[in-house]
Amino acid sequence: MILSDLVDAAVYEDGRQLGFVVDVRLALDGPVTGLMAAPRIVGLLVSARTSTSFMGYERTGTNAPAVIARYLAYRHRGTFLVLWEDVRTVGGGDAAGSADARVELRPGFRRWSAALEQHGTASQA
Amino acid sequence: MSPRVRPRPRVPDELPELPPHLRPAGRVLDARLHLLDRQILDVEDVPVTTLDDLHVSYADGDDDVTSGDRPAFVDQVLTGPVLVTRVFGGRPPASRLVRIPWSDVVDVGVAVRLGVRGEGLDATWVQRWLRDRVIGRIPGGRHDPE
Amino acid sequence: MKRLLGVALGVLTAIGGFLDIGDLVTNSVVGSRFGMTLTWAVVLGVIGICLFAQMAGRVTAVSGRATFEIIRERLGPRTAGANLVASFLINLLTLTAEIGGLALALQLASSVEPRLWVPVAAFAVWVVVWRAKFSVLENVTGLLGLTLLVFTFSVVLLDPDWAHLVHTAAAPQIPASEGAASYFYYAIALFGAAMTPYEVFFFSSGAVEEKWGPKDVSQSRLNVLIGFPLGALLSLSIAAGATLVFLPQQIEVSTLSQVVAPVAEAGGKVALAFVLVGIVAAVFGASLETTLSSGYTIAQFFGWSWGKFRRPSQAPGFHVVMILGLLVGAGVLMTDVDPIRVTEFSVVFSAIALPLTYLPILLVANDREYMGDQVNGRVLNGFALVFLVLIVVASVAAIPLMVATGAGA
Repeated sequence: MILSDLVDAAVYEDGRQLGFVVDVRLALDGPVTGLMAAPRIVGLLVSARTSTSFMGYERTGTNAPAVIARYLAYRHRGTFLVLWEDVRTVGGGDAAGSADARVELRPGFRRWSAALEQHGTASQA
Repeated sequence: MSPRVRPRPRVPDELPELPPHLRPAGRVLDARLHLLDRQILDVEDVPVTTLDDLHVSYADGDDDVTSGDRPAFVDQVLTGPVLVTRVFGGRPPASRLVRIPWSDVVDVGVAVRLGVRGEGLDATWVQRWLRDRVIGRIPGGRHDPE
Repeated sequence: MKRLLGVALGVLTAIGGFLDIGDLVTNSVVGSRFGMTLTWAVVLGVIGICLFAQMAGRVTAVSGRATFEIIRERLGPRTAGANLVASFLINLLTLTAEIGGLALALQLASSVEPRLWVPVAAFAVWVVVWRAKFSVLENVTGLLGLTLLVFTFSVVLLDPDWAHLVHTAAAPQIPASEGAASYFYYAIALFGAAMTPYEVFFFSSGAVEEKWGPKDVSQSRLNVLIGFPLGALLSLSIAAGATLVFLPQQIEVSTLSQVVAPVAEAGGKVALAFVLVGIVAAVFGASLETTLSSGYTIAQFFGWSWGKFRRPSQAPGFHVVMILGLLVGAGVLMTDVDPIRVTEFSVVFSAIALPLTYLPILLVANDREYMGDQVNGRVLNGFALVFLVLIVVASVAAIPLMVATGAGA
């Protein structure tokens, strides 16, 4: 699977559409093969809106310029994190374009906060 | 093809606060926010390419990821033709994917850094071809500017 | 001297934006038709470009990332790709015009047909891009471009009625002989010229070429605050000269030789020699700026190795793009197009390129992952948002105005 198969995929629970995958949360706690651990998929971030103009505001501490931040936060209100374990099937994205991709969640899955804790500031080039 | 024309569920203005999920042991990154479309630099800070996509598979290397039953991991950084399909839709065949193993990645910041030289990577073959066939053959192409 | 050379990047960037061949003529046309009544558009433009160029310079100095890398990262491949196409076409149109302008200048000196000079001019630009160090090209064109200040001196020598000039600039009225549509078309043309996107591409990439780090933020600010206002001063001086010489006689400027006429009238042959050197330097500088910008934008979008601080063989894609750009520009000029009118079409592409360039700069300048403590303050964000709205309104209004007025005719 490539990540584009997941991003923008439509998300369903029991046939009912909940929204779209706007991002994929990863944690660097997978097998260590080099200097960095391989990123493990923690879960999917799901918004009722597609991710065209998300720009990261919803999930990080960035809140300026306030006008843009508030608008985007409002557009993406209700965005939640669903854990990878709660993903029942990922499909449709194999041969076709990602627009047809579809993610089915387990019935009774849990919604978690999409917020991303502020970690590390500017890493200088 | 455009995702905007698809119907979307309505969202009420007032929503309950969701509980935070337990923080994982390792550093947390959102793929799109922190990785996709970032510049990739080699061990000598020379630009290699951009991070155009990521390859995901299960721990045993099976990349037919169809459910969340088992943990899935990013094992490769993808570049090249996959950029074209991200713009225009569709998906390149697996044989056309240009891959950089995740084990080559040493740091993720405002750029993604590799621990190897870009010179030997598949990701730079177009540049090498242009250098050997075009730029290197023009007088002065291999000298420092004056 | 060292301090002076330290701001060469800002001066060259501004010259390429405010005084490329199309702008030289536009400024003079504006003076001859509208007097100083459009000063406000230049002033707004210089404030806008100072705000955003300083932001772009600061982002690059602090994070090491140049502007088109940021555009790609924030907007994704599709939207950034649209910006890339629009920005590249603006670069190419301007570059074509500059090569044509160089050929015109060489024709003035030699009376050989300009079309024969086109390959020579394109080759000269390529040789500099291929072989010269970045610091050499910015210092030489930046310093020689300063001779354009003779435009400012000649305004003084023409001994104008200052009170009247200032009054028409400060309390502008649309001249009775002109329609409102033409007036606002030129207002947008002046504002857009001041804010052309290749200025920030060139400035931020130049900051990488000069190896600016977080300590050089003040250097970047100095470059912005000296370079762009200087560009605006020169642009207003050209307009003022044309106002004094042509407006009373109802002569409308249409050629490059008319642009320099006020200088010749005020300062004679010596001043004319200076201004010709200045124009060649400015046009050559704008050619370099647009050629390099076309390489910078494409290389940064695709993540290729780029930069004049590397050997060409270490940045092959970057150099191939620039060679192709020069070949296309020279090829277009071999047909009988008027090089000065070529830039008018860039207005259309600016409608896409301007918002999609300045929005990502503003977003990243507020992102602590990139900027640490050096994020924008609230006042700066407030002004930047106002200008972002202005940019969108101006760039959208430009297209119907261009059609309605036949590009200002």
